[in-house]
Amino acid sequence: MQLAVNIAVLASIYALIACGYVLIYRVSRVLNLAHGELMMLAAYLLLTTASSFAGHPLFAISAAIGLSILVGAMVYLFLMRKMTGEMALAAVLATVALGVLLRGITVIVWSAQQQYPATALGLVNPSIALPGGARISLCGALLVACTAVAYGSLLAFLRFGRWGVRMRAAGQSPLLAAQRGINLHAIYAIAWSLSTFTGAMAGMLIALDSGLGQTMTIIGLKAFPAALVGGLDSLAGALAGSLIVAAAEVLLIHYVDPLLSEVVPFLVLIAMLVVRPWGLFGTREELDRV
Amino acid sequence: MSRLPRASGHFRTSYAQDFRLIQTPLERRWLAALLVALLTFPFIASPFLTDLASQALLAMVGAMALMLLTGFAGQVSLGHAGLLAAGAFTAGILFRETGAPFWMTLPAAALVGAFLGVVFGLPSLRLRGLYLAVSTLALHFLVAYVGGEYESKRGFSTGIVIDPPVIAGKAVTDPRAWYFILLTAAVLTLLVCLNLLRSRSGRAWAAIRANETVAEALGIGVAANKLLAFVISSMLTSLAGALFAYYRGFVSVEAFSLFLSIQYVAMIIIGGMGSVLGAILGAVFVTLFPYLIEAVMQLLPGAGAYAGVMFAVNYAAFGVVMILFLVLEPQGLVGIWRRVQTYFLLWPFKHKPVAGARR
Amino acid sequence: MSEPMLSVDKLEVVYQRAITALQGISLGVAPGQIVGVLGTNGAGKSTLLRAISGFHGVDDARVTEGTIRFEGRRIENGEPHRNTRAGIALVPERDKVFPNLTVAENLSVPVASSGSRADMSRRQALVFHHFPRLGDLRARTAGLLSGGERQMLAIAGALMCGPKLLLVDELSLGLAPVIVSDIMQKLVQIRRELSLTMIVVEQSAAVALAVVDYGYVLENGRVVLDGDATRLRDHPDIREFYLGQSSAGGRRSYRTVKQYRRNRRWYG
Repeated sequence: MQLAVNIAVLASIYALIACGYVLIYRVSRVLNLAHGELMMLAAYLLLTTASSFAGHPLFAISAAIGLSILVGAMVYLFLMRKMTGEMALAAVLATVALGVLLRGITVIVWSAQQQYPATALGLVNPSIALPGGARISLCGALLVACTAVAYGSLLAFLRFGRWGVRMRAAGQSPLLAAQRGINLHAIYAIAWSLSTFTGAMAGMLIALDSGLGQTMTIIGLKAFPAALVGGLDSLAGALAGSLIVAAAEVLLIHYVDPLLSEVVPFLVLIAMLVVRPWGLFGTREELDRV
Repeated sequence: MSRLPRASGHFRTSYAQDFRLIQTPLERRWLAALLVALLTFPFIASPFLTDLASQALLAMVGAMALMLLTGFAGQVSLGHAGLLAAGAFTAGILFRETGAPFWMTLPAAALVGAFLGVVFGLPSLRLRGLYLAVSTLALHFLVAYVGGEYESKRGFSTGIVIDPPVIAGKAVTDPRAWYFILLTAAVLTLLVCLNLLRSRSGRAWAAIRANETVAEALGIGVAANKLLAFVISSMLTSLAGALFAYYRGFVSVEAFSLFLSIQYVAMIIIGGMGSVLGAILGAVFVTLFPYLIEAVMQLLPGAGAYAGVMFAVNYAAFGVVMILFLVLEPQGLVGIWRRVQTYFLLWPFKHKPVAGARR
Repeated sequence: MSEPMLSVDKLEVVYQRAITALQGISLGVAPGQIVGVLGTNGAGKSTLLRAISGFHGVDDARVTEGTIRFEGRRIENGEPHRNTRAGIALVPERDKVFPNLTVAENLSVPVASSGSRADMSRRQALVFHHFPRLGDLRARTAGLLSGGERQMLAIAGALMCGPKLLLVDELSLGLAPVIVSDIMQKLVQIRRELSLTMIVVEQSAAVALAVVDYGYVLENGRVVLDGDATRLRDHPDIREFYLGQSSAGGRRSYRTVKQYRRNRRWYG
């Protein structure tokens, strides 16, 4: 039972992060390898807002979320916009460079030590007993809830929202979308903001749950296989992929070797790439486009 | 290998001429001068500078190998550090477990590299572009995991210590001796690369990079040539990893992080894609960069505050430089170099861009 | 001719900073007119339309000389979405629908120049009135439509932008003649109802000359011939090279072909 809860929490962490990868890839065909770093930056921003708005945790959290959305939009406007028209690889490398830059900046500003925003906010993280003898931390439960809400609203937005449909259209054929009066820069900026928003939520909740340090980027990177296993251009796929990766990771750690934690997602990824490179729910022709 | 016009009045009228590595007498003289400079360098420079040069030479081997794969054959790899690690660990493990001398461990490292090249290359038969990059990234984590597992299971949790290689009954510890060993390695790699590129496989790689389907239709064995590129590149990289292990006298999985892969990719970007000279320039630039930053930081007032987070400053500056090159000079250092060259080649007639050229 | 709605003046377009696709093209389109642009492959017809509708970053093309004015405002090198919102809608030659969206979703994508909800639904009703077939296929994924249905959807999508000027690129490409004439008729009808201005690019001169008021013939990026529909229809070179009717009857010698080439140079 405890294993099932662990799988659920880990799967929602991966899923919440993975949807950021999927959003950006789906709309702009760019793989954002700086997602983990952006997520970490959001958590560090929470640390700062927590100290400046001490005693108002909700205010601090919303301020940090607002700031990270702004960061996402700025990343597009000042960096990725310059990369349009270059080859897809150059854009990916630009995000890699951005990740390196962000890692440096966070250490310079906030130091490399493990920190605990939960204590800075004055929040406690009680563990809740579930039926069946399992336990889940409050933050873990919040993570599961947030992921469910995020996926529900994103799916609804992309399916029924006017701008959601336009985002899908821009992802399929940017030129035609522009010719139909859609401002691509606005769409891409929205995608980047949404992606950093979900990433920020994940980063903050993880930081509240288990502290904050440079290792968070590794969590970000480990969520990437989840996105790819499901198919990089499918949100539902990201959810399924996260479940698979999380289940494999938790079970292998439990029954085989705790050291495996670092590699399991990548093992799953390699297996997937060998069998079905376009992912569970991805479209097949995607492969030829990149 | 098609080349730009070099000098006025120099025409290549036969294929043999076109294939020649050294084209003009002036080039030969420059090369001789460069060789003399390289050979006398360790006797003039301080041990610190010699060490820096050695590091750069080592990086060149890896960078040229990656350039061969990515810049010429068009196969993206983000797992370069994994291959370096494989070479280093092969040397380290063989030395620890069997006490094998370096002339056995180096070929063994090359063999392991070749094998991993096939493993890394297999996904490339099905995958392209981003997906290939991702699969190599995953393989990097796998190799790093296996290395870490060995370290912890055998109780070398801090790393494996390797004795310096013994040549002619003497242990090589002198930085100057190392400089010459690494210089030889770099020059040999350079010759291997240049010769491969002007051979049939080099042309096949260029075709594959331009358009796989067309290459296949023209009768080029795409799968075989891709695998060949991976194997050769991995062998060279693995050798570089083994040399690195001996040079440092120490192998630890921490040294082969993802950041190292990024650094190698940065070398070929900053140097300039699709140019061996670019790989060399990029390797020098990326190797010297941290020292440059440190020197600059020491000149700035109030730098003491950042002494503790020097590595972070390095990271940030490195990210900025990479972004600047990607955005402003996609051709890399070689692009700048060529522009300067063209300027003097055409002088006094300035190259005037057509009206459409302004952005 | 009244004050032109669109005027192109000595337009020059360069691709990838190296290839000149259009060299000094001038043309004018009066409000309510249908203007045809004819020419063979690579003559620069599509480039002309794309220049008017706006180039996208990856096209790596730009207008290097000359101007395009739409309702008095200069729009050369403008972004496509701005030009669309200003009232220029394009029915592209390739990639004309979003293949993974349904027909209804395809029609909800455009951002109209006058964006009120009532306008949108009115336009949608009009589109479904003229192309009832699209109404039946509302929930179908656009990638599964036939060529003719796809063309209808592309036109409908462009109409949803609420254009004043409609640019149609190669309507007849890959379609059966009966469908072409059907769609063309619908188009003319819609134009009358909405009082649209149109530019029609065609390789098939017969299709174009049946509907246009005025036509331009492009070759190698230049205008070699222009005139109203009757003049073009009766021009011997057009008759021979575009309509496939030989004026003299029987075979012609190679010398006369060369004569035509000289003509063309003369017009350029």
